[in-house]
Amino acid sequence: MKKKEIAITVNDLHVYYRDMKRFSLKKGGLKEKGSGKLFKAIKGVTFEVPKGQILGICGKNGSGKSTLLRAISGIFSPDHGSINLHGNSISLLSIGVGFQKQLTGYENIYLSGMLLGYTREEIDKKVNEIIEFSELGDFVYKPVRSYSSGMYSKLAFSITAILETDIILIDEVLSVGDIHFKEKSYNKMKELISDESRTVVIVSHSTKTIVELCDKVIWLHDGLIKAEGDPATIMQEYEEFMRAEA
Amino acid sequence: MKRFINDLKKYKNYIAYATWAELKTEVINSYLGWAWMILEPLAFMLIYVFIAGVIFKSTVQYFPVFVFIGLSIWNFFNKMVVASVKIVANNRDTVTKVYLPKFVLLLVKMGVNIFKMIVSFALVFLFMIFYKVPITWNVLWFIPILIVTIVFTFGVCTIMMHFGVFAEDLSNLVNIALRMVFYLTGIFFDISTKVHNVLYRTILLDLNPLANFIFNMRNVLIYSSSPVGMWTLIWFFVGILLSMIGINTIYKYENTYVKVMR
Repeated sequence: MKKKEIAITVNDLHVYYRDMKRFSLKKGGLKEKGSGKLFKAIKGVTFEVPKGQILGICGKNGSGKSTLLRAISGIFSPDHGSINLHGNSISLLSIGVGFQKQLTGYENIYLSGMLLGYTREEIDKKVNEIIEFSELGDFVYKPVRSYSSGMYSKLAFSITAILETDIILIDEVLSVGDIHFKEKSYNKMKELISDESRTVVIVSHSTKTIVELCDKVIWLHDGLIKAEGDPATIMQEYEEFMRAEA
Repeated sequence: MKRFINDLKKYKNYIAYATWAELKTEVINSYLGWAWMILEPLAFMLIYVFIAGVIFKSTVQYFPVFVFIGLSIWNFFNKMVVASVKIVANNRDTVTKVYLPKFVLLLVKMGVNIFKMIVSFALVFLFMIFYKVPITWNVLWFIPILIVTIVFTFGVCTIMMHFGVFAEDLSNLVNIALRMVFYLTGIFFDISTKVHNVLYRTILLDLNPLANFIFNMRNVLIYSSSPVGMWTLIWFFVGILLSMIGINTIYKYENTYVKVMR
């Protein structure tokens, strides 16, 4: 493998929400483009993530963090600029992707796994590990609708954590479950992260998470990068800034 | 097109599994479970047969089979179109969290409804035996006609799915249009004998693809004849064309769907 391989390249990224609502006939038929205010969620963000790096993203609510993650994961298309993943597989770690609430946790593991592009055999190999990690015990054979919200998140976390992709995007889910599970998932994250080939992007408000886990942090503010660099320094600035604003 | 085939390969496991999951979800909480998959169409058919046969005294030969065929195809088309208009919105939990080619959602729905249609046709065959309908080799035309129906439906649905994301009113319009086509399709009556004006008959039977498919399906299953294929073939190519346009449009716009739905 080459040294300092780049895993994610984001170049001058813009993502806009066009407030076109969902037009109805009253508003003039099947015209697609046209009126509608433009809301700029991301206005020109450029950065690179080398392979194996753990990047933290912080910023206040509405600063575009989640939008950025979704753009990287391919859910949104950029309105301007580009995102290059250099052929890496990617998953956005978030709660309950594609769960069918009537089905059992076990069946949902397969459903989510296949949604992420794994074959049945690959999931067969990992399914016990997932069940064990999720601590659901026999509940895994019960319908997901009977789960508590904590159990639900545990299952979701376990699926993405154990079915490994090259790039993992995490949107504030480290606060999942009780203290015990939190620590466990935290350690699992550390373990995943220690794997040199894995690239991770974490969105979080928690200074502790970012300082402990990340190699680098980007501070997003109103859709732009306000600062980037060493986690400890930036997070201190960020906290001061947030307090001043409050 | 190449991308479509690659995505199809990549997601075929998911499509199969999700289809099964959705079917299971529908029956999981009922006492009779999977039996509903047969009981439901059977019950509806019997109701229609009763209304049309006893009340309106239809004279069509093998009337229950006749209605059964019409409804199997119609229900498939109808359910698919209605579902496709709202399909992206109904799957927002999935589409806001992970990228998947949006036509995959449609294919899962297709899987569910094709399964139901097959069950429905299994009942048709049972009825055919029960009513002693003469069976000939022409019955084998069943398969190509079914394929044409599926392709055409898929084509219509890709287009509906795309506009359904943007147009709030579309589902109302679609419901009205479907109701109209329902009555024009001749599910309870035989267009070819009821309508004597040649021009109208051509319009109703050939230019309405659904009527055309149902007419031919009855020809091959009940009347031991081979299909009158020209228009069916034309509608097959229209279906392919619509699918291609639909898939291209979906690929082009699918990443804006999520933004619109917020």
